[in-house]
Amino acid sequence: MVYLRSEEHLRRWLDDNDHREPGATLTTPKMNELSLRWWGTRLDPAWRPRPPDESQAILDGLDLTGEFWSLS
Amino acid sequence: MDAFDLDVRRHVYRSVAENGRPPTTGETAAGLGVGATEIADAYQRLHDAHALVLFPDTTDVWMANPFCFAPTPHTVTAGGRVWTGTCAWDALGIPAALHIDASIASACACCGEPVALEVRDGELVEGGELLVHILVPARRWWDDIGFT
Repeated sequence: MVYLRSEEHLRRWLDDNDHREPGATLTTPKMNELSLRWWGTRLDPAWRPRPPDESQAILDGLDLTGEFWSLS
Repeated sequence: MDAFDLDVRRHVYRSVAENGRPPTTGETAAGLGVGATEIADAYQRLHDAHALVLFPDTTDVWMANPFCFAPTPHTVTAGGRVWTGTCAWDALGIPAALHIDASIASACACCGEPVALEVRDGELVEGGELLVHILVPARRWWDDIGFT
């Protein structure tokens, strides 16, 4: 998962790397929001493994849906 | 994941937050008052459960996501320490996990030019024009977590 400066840089990067199929692109504000929801409890003393459906719900809650974002 | 493995994982993450690095199996054994072999076995189970990532064929912690203990392009300055994020997502995950402000220094994967992000009170206040690209579909993230 990498940072890119713009859509143009993304296209060039994909072209320069064996024409890889593009995956998913998020703005950094959206990635920050995902980070808060995904990692925010990681250091909690009461942390337990998060069930897959709860992880999927985090993605769904940010409209990260469809085949690419399916965890199962 | 049983109570012992949760204790071991909690010790590892607390040590990371307090010391900026993961504990060795010996340090965790001393900290929890159990044998190093038991801790090594627990580290392996935590690795298998994707709760930690060990360097191949070792009991040394490579990742306690979002924290990484090998060089990457993603440096996170937060809480008076310099951390390493496994990837662009995990770099933003470090302030999220620590609940503190952070400055992230990385580079554009295309041109290599430096990029900077700032998180203040959970909000991204610099670097909002950047993009994050994810190549690997979610169901395959753990197939090769180093590549993901």
